[in-house]
Amino acid sequence: MVTAVDAADFASPVTAKRGGLWRYILIRLLLIIPTILILVTVVFILMRVTGDPITAALGGRLAPAELARRLHEAGYDRPILVQYAEYLRNLLMGDLGTTLTDNRPVTQILLQYGSATLELAFYALIVALIIGMPFGLIAAYRRDRWQDALLRTGAILAYATPIFFVAILLKLILAVNLGAFPVAGRASTRVELELQSITNPSGIYLVDALRLGDPAAVADVLWHAVLPAIALGLLTAGIFLRLVRTNVIGTLGSQYVTSARSRGVGEYTRVTKHPCRPALIPIITLMGLQIAALLSGAVLTETSFEWKGLGFMLSEYLKARDFVAVQGIVILIAIIVAVANFIVDVLAVVIDPRVRY
Amino acid sequence: MTIRRSTRARLGLAIGAVGATAVVLAGCASTNSGGGSTAASSQPLIIGTTDKITSIDPAGSYDNGSFAVMNQIYPFLMNSKYGTAEVTPDIATSAEFTSPNEYTVKLKSGLKYANGDALDSSDVKFSFDRMVKINDPNGPASLLGNLDSVETPDATTVVFHLKNPNDQTWAQVLSSPAGPIVDEKVFSADKVTPDQTIVDGKAFAGQYDIKSYKVNELIDYVPNKDYQGNLGAAQNSGVTVKYYADASNLKLDISKGNIDVAFPSLSPSDISDLRTNKNVKVVDGPGGAIRYIVWNFNTMPFGATAQGADPAKALAVRQAAADLIDRPAIAKDVYKDTFTPLYSYVAKGFTGANDSLKGLYGDGKGGPSLDKAKQTLQAAGVTTPVTLNLQYNGDHYGPSSGDEYAKIKSQLENGGLFTVNLAQTEWVTYQKQRVDSYPVYQLGWFPDFSDADNYLTPFFSKENFLSNHYDNPQVQDLLAKEATNTDANSRKQQIEQIQDLVAKDLSTIPLLQGTQIAIVGKDVQGTTLDASFKFRYAPLHK
Repeated sequence: MVTAVDAADFASPVTAKRGGLWRYILIRLLLIIPTILILVTVVFILMRVTGDPITAALGGRLAPAELARRLHEAGYDRPILVQYAEYLRNLLMGDLGTTLTDNRPVTQILLQYGSATLELAFYALIVALIIGMPFGLIAAYRRDRWQDALLRTGAILAYATPIFFVAILLKLILAVNLGAFPVAGRASTRVELELQSITNPSGIYLVDALRLGDPAAVADVLWHAVLPAIALGLLTAGIFLRLVRTNVIGTLGSQYVTSARSRGVGEYTRVTKHPCRPALIPIITLMGLQIAALLSGAVLTETSFEWKGLGFMLSEYLKARDFVAVQGIVILIAIIVAVANFIVDVLAVVIDPRVRY
Repeated sequence: MTIRRSTRARLGLAIGAVGATAVVLAGCASTNSGGGSTAASSQPLIIGTTDKITSIDPAGSYDNGSFAVMNQIYPFLMNSKYGTAEVTPDIATSAEFTSPNEYTVKLKSGLKYANGDALDSSDVKFSFDRMVKINDPNGPASLLGNLDSVETPDATTVVFHLKNPNDQTWAQVLSSPAGPIVDEKVFSADKVTPDQTIVDGKAFAGQYDIKSYKVNELIDYVPNKDYQGNLGAAQNSGVTVKYYADASNLKLDISKGNIDVAFPSLSPSDISDLRTNKNVKVVDGPGGAIRYIVWNFNTMPFGATAQGADPAKALAVRQAAADLIDRPAIAKDVYKDTFTPLYSYVAKGFTGANDSLKGLYGDGKGGPSLDKAKQTLQAAGVTTPVTLNLQYNGDHYGPSSGDEYAKIKSQLENGGLFTVNLAQTEWVTYQKQRVDSYPVYQLGWFPDFSDADNYLTPFFSKENFLSNHYDNPQVQDLLAKEATNTDANSRKQQIEQIQDLVAKDLSTIPLLQGTQIAIVGKDVQGTTLDASFKFRYAPLHK
């Protein structure tokens, strides 16, 4: 017979465990706030230290007194703490401000260009999976043979080579010399004009091209995405390849795979199906973590291929010292990365109970 | 086999889903029909550019990229016809000084915007009043410094009351970035209007209407059938402008025929390369951009606050440097002749430009002279070598600045008269430090409007923007006179006199004058590059 005390003793660890999970999620959620605040503060200070947009744009034409007058009128000569307090207050009110150099609401910039970056990141992830998964499997199956050595070397090269260098190589060989792909842009001029004519475009060109119902436009958009997607996706593909290889090697030696062989399961199925699912779990975790790498890589990829997304605009606004725009873009990136990491952390706990929290 | 069948089934399902999605989405899509005339004679053209737009509200921008758009979509009271820098009434029937402080403009009757709104004197007053009131830090309100008030006695008459009488640059100011006329029903009176509001409001009365607009990416122009200005109707049925961040991508697209026109701007080596390409034509035109060296009269060697201050020795140092600089070599070797040697303060092609420096320095024919430089320094008692800390910027005036200043260093050090310490600084820091910290440094200039005064008053008046402590009362007196002189011949002489005086003082050393260069497809006609420095889309056709 189980007494009430016994029952309570039995139930308490479970309750504690559940409570611990929610507590963990809450703490991880709250930690996003200081993370973003620190980043915002660092960006705020760095941008103020490196100059202002008026000097960057008009300094060469104005006398120092006139320049000082304009800076004063724009409020850029106020104490940095005053500017910071005002900025934080607006941020809390959800007002990211208006860009200083082209007078556009930052939210509009984020919406317009964020979709382009999202589209590129999506293509890059597909490239990473298409290259990383099968080649990781091959490397594991051919462990310590020449195929494995070749693929591992390729993987190291893929994530060690700077993105801008890969981009230049791809452009030079495949676009300029062979003419197989466009040099830059997200679509040809004709298609861009068609896409601009859509009412309420999503900004994701593939979706908009599908909405147009024009197969040529869809093909054009995909054709333009190939080189940028490879340039950005290779970095993650290299990491995926090595991770899949390591995990598959681990599972290939496990008892259930050996027993599958003894049951007469074919070689192909035994290699591709059985170890795949266990190997996928860390890949999903890694995909979340790779979002930060993809977004930072997007700055270089987008700049190289004139893919007009958030990374491209970040680079343009940095050059113009438009700190309002830069802060807005960085905050969005910080939020995406922080939220993605939060989701990954929670997923890791849910998927694998061995993870401590 | 089961797995294969399953995979095929999934693949088929996926393809079907994508197809179905396409059909559904296509069904949901609708397009904006746009508007504008399609009656013009030639097919649409695609222009590629590396320009950038800050704002298409005239009150909010003062840069070439934004002004290039404004030139196509807004009317001006005064404008220059194709091929000339001389301004004449555009949407006006007359414009003249009716008293020393009053400039009266009579508008054409029946003017209207593409949205149907009437354009009358009230819009003109609104356009200038708002620009002064907004006074945006990025805007051109400073060009209206001489404007006191605007009066509108009737619907077609505008009277500008000016602070200083007989301002000879006023007509040019009306054609400058401060001059576009905007619709008072669309634009805000006290703040910069967002681009999309302007586009949605179709507040255009220039040669073109904007059909679709994506800032710094793609703009689709269609001819404005209601345009009544003096430039005439567009010769094409529309123009699409594509914005490039990287000039090398622009070059590739024009060389492959993906676009019809590239303007601006390509690197000197790309232009040189394209001159041999049979699929394109390189069109050269006069340029207003100049490059020059600034001397700080306080901190240069022997300057007023430098060690061993001696005005005569400081002058000798400037003159010796002018003797040694070989402009043709810089233009040819560094800029592949996309820049030309400049020996005057006023750029070539403007009233009064007189090559004042050519005879005074070097070999007297435009080349350098080491002997003359030696004699100048010896006569002044200057011990050689003179150390010059020469500063330049590598990110604002193009990537060739590094080569340009390496060449200048080499020319100045030739013969051992100078030891040049060359240093480069990033643009924003450069702007902060140039006034007090740099004894000799690089700058460039693009005119606000096409008048010789714009190359003189901003540089050599007492409160000049260079703040290099140059102060010559005789020059300042002549500047005040030429700016208000109504006699063209007498004004020209005064402009020449100013240049002769400054050439002796050498407040700055002009080096090079840029040319305008457009690359067009072999079937494109009507490219117009003139001293107005306005690149017009309307005369282009193929």
